[in-house]
Amino acid sequence: MSEEVKARKKMIEVRNLKKIYRMGDEKIKAVDDVSFDVLDGDFCCLIGTSGSGKSTILNLLAGIEKATSGDIILRGKNITRMSEARLAGFRQSSLGFVFQSYNLIGTMTALENVELPLIFKREKRKVRRKKSEEMLKKVGLEKRMDHKPSEMSGGQQQRVGIARAFVAKPKIIFADEPTGNLDTKTTVEVMTLIKQMARENHQTIVMVTHDPTLTEYADKVIRISDGKIVETKINQAADAAV
Amino acid sequence: MNLWDLLKMGLRNLSRRKARTALTVVGVVIGTVSIVSMVSIGIGINETFEKTYMENGAMTIIQIQQYSSSFDESGNWTGDKKQTLDDSLVEQLRGIKHVKAIAPIIDQNGQFKSGKYSTYVQLRAIGRDAFGEFGFPELTYGTYPTATDNKKIVIANGTLQSFYYYSGRKYEEKTIDPTQEKITFTFPEWNYQKNPRKKDYKIEMNPGLGNFAVMEESDNWEYNSTCYVDMDFFKEMWKQYASTLTVADRKRAMQVLESYSAIYVNVDNIDNVVEVQEAIKALGYGTYSDMQYLEPLQQTSNMIQVVLGAIGALAMLVSAINIANTMVMSIYERTREIGIMKVLGCKVYDIRRLFLYEAALIGLMGGIIGIMLSYLVSFFINKYGQPIFAAIMQTSAVYDVEGAKFSVIPFWLPFAAAVFGMFVGVVSGYIPARRATKISAIEAMKSNQ
Repeated sequence: MSEEVKARKKMIEVRNLKKIYRMGDEKIKAVDDVSFDVLDGDFCCLIGTSGSGKSTILNLLAGIEKATSGDIILRGKNITRMSEARLAGFRQSSLGFVFQSYNLIGTMTALENVELPLIFKREKRKVRRKKSEEMLKKVGLEKRMDHKPSEMSGGQQQRVGIARAFVAKPKIIFADEPTGNLDTKTTVEVMTLIKQMARENHQTIVMVTHDPTLTEYADKVIRISDGKIVETKINQAADAAV
Repeated sequence: MNLWDLLKMGLRNLSRRKARTALTVVGVVIGTVSIVSMVSIGIGINETFEKTYMENGAMTIIQIQQYSSSFDESGNWTGDKKQTLDDSLVEQLRGIKHVKAIAPIIDQNGQFKSGKYSTYVQLRAIGRDAFGEFGFPELTYGTYPTATDNKKIVIANGTLQSFYYYSGRKYEEKTIDPTQEKITFTFPEWNYQKNPRKKDYKIEMNPGLGNFAVMEESDNWEYNSTCYVDMDFFKEMWKQYASTLTVADRKRAMQVLESYSAIYVNVDNIDNVVEVQEAIKALGYGTYSDMQYLEPLQQTSNMIQVVLGAIGALAMLVSAINIANTMVMSIYERTREIGIMKVLGCKVYDIRRLFLYEAALIGLMGGIIGIMLSYLVSFFINKYGQPIFAAIMQTSAVYDVEGAKFSVIPFWLPFAAAVFGMFVGVVSGYIPARRATKISAIEAMKSNQ
């Protein structure tokens, strides 16, 4: 096992990452000198209490927020130095997102929502439609393709969100409390789905959560408190949980 | 994102708030209708002015007559002045800026005969270069005189229709076709006394000789009634004619060749006519042009056009503000959506384009509907606007109120209006669109709209 780990590439490298907010005269260190790696194909879980800085780390990794200092290297590219336009292109090609509040566009159907990343990538109409339909079938929503988010349950909406995150086959998927608004049963369904899809395409996942029970899905668990890493754990039995 | 996806998304967003979109479009419609109908009225007035004058003569021509009437300050006739029009004046005129062509002219009376029918005409000798420069009409037969082929008379269409026969009891009119019937040209007998021992001077028109041409019917009465010959040929004709006269009259007749009866000056552009006229006046010659009467009228009509255009532009400005307001509202509503799009990899450039397209679509829709309504408005102005315009336009006697069109929409105006509508949309959508691109993705997604 350990040899296999060495052979795998580093998909995410975080070096001395800092994010400092200014509130008047006070400086708040939301992320305080964090460094860690995530290997290709790993499921990494950032766990911490509310306000621990775990969501901020995820936003920094995704390039949604700008780091105060430090480097973030995704697939060998340092995104802290990318221009807005190149970052957008990088998101199109390499990143997928699953959000706690699903963040679907309310006026679009499930199918159109899933198609969106492909539209931004300028994929051909027929190709992207086919891909999106296949993806919705995989998440078990073949009967809900033409439904708007408001006509679906939370679990269904999150499955649309997952389909959207995976449709462009990005190498890295960021998930921010993906089950935060779901009940226990649906949580298991959604987590299983994410894990399964990631394994199929050998994708790397970084998930943020406050729920310790979800760590069992992860290969690597990083505990965050007050903007610092307090514990890193390799979970050898992660695959058994699925 | 490709164009089609952007347009589709834009249309979807517009149809999401139908009432608001419709109201904004109505604003653009009102703006477009006011601009188009105002401009069309301006064009209509101008066209009518020009048409009225085109019937009477070419607009760019200045005439310097041998006998020039002079007027006092209040416009009363004070007498005629004889001016010497010779080649040295022609040279001076050539030095004036904007002068395109100069045609010295000698006018003489002439007579055509065909069997028992005859007609008197004005025969105008003119430098042959003028045939290409003074807006001469097309020919229905023959060619205009050239350097190698100048021995011909160019007959006006009206001349051929005015042949008559009068015997004291009977008056008959006839239209002669010189390609079918034989006609001859002579100078009339009343001016000079003929030497009875000499043969009469006459030229037989003959299609075989190619010594005549026929002009097509023209709106310009001068070209419709005056016959033309090349100046060099005229001098030849006149010398031959003079040799058939008595010795005393021969001398008197030869004086005709010493001074031109008029000089016509063609100016390169209608706008420069008055300027050239002033320059000629400075040389001490009295002049005449149609333009000198039209210019004050045209100034009035230009002013009316500007005022009308300004009214239309004001309405358009209001609708531009309206579009900007709609776009600001729309972006405010869609903050979260914009954030999501950014996170999913939509480029800033595409977000800006999306909002610009939406604004342009509003402008375009308003523009197209506005144009259609404008045609309707134009129709009603032409149909029912007469009493109003008759009252406003009382300034000009030449303005033929009865047959006039008050609103003319030229073919380019609808296109210009549609493009303008879109342009207004894009301009007023630009700042809101830029605002949309500045929205931070993280803030946007936190907002609970």
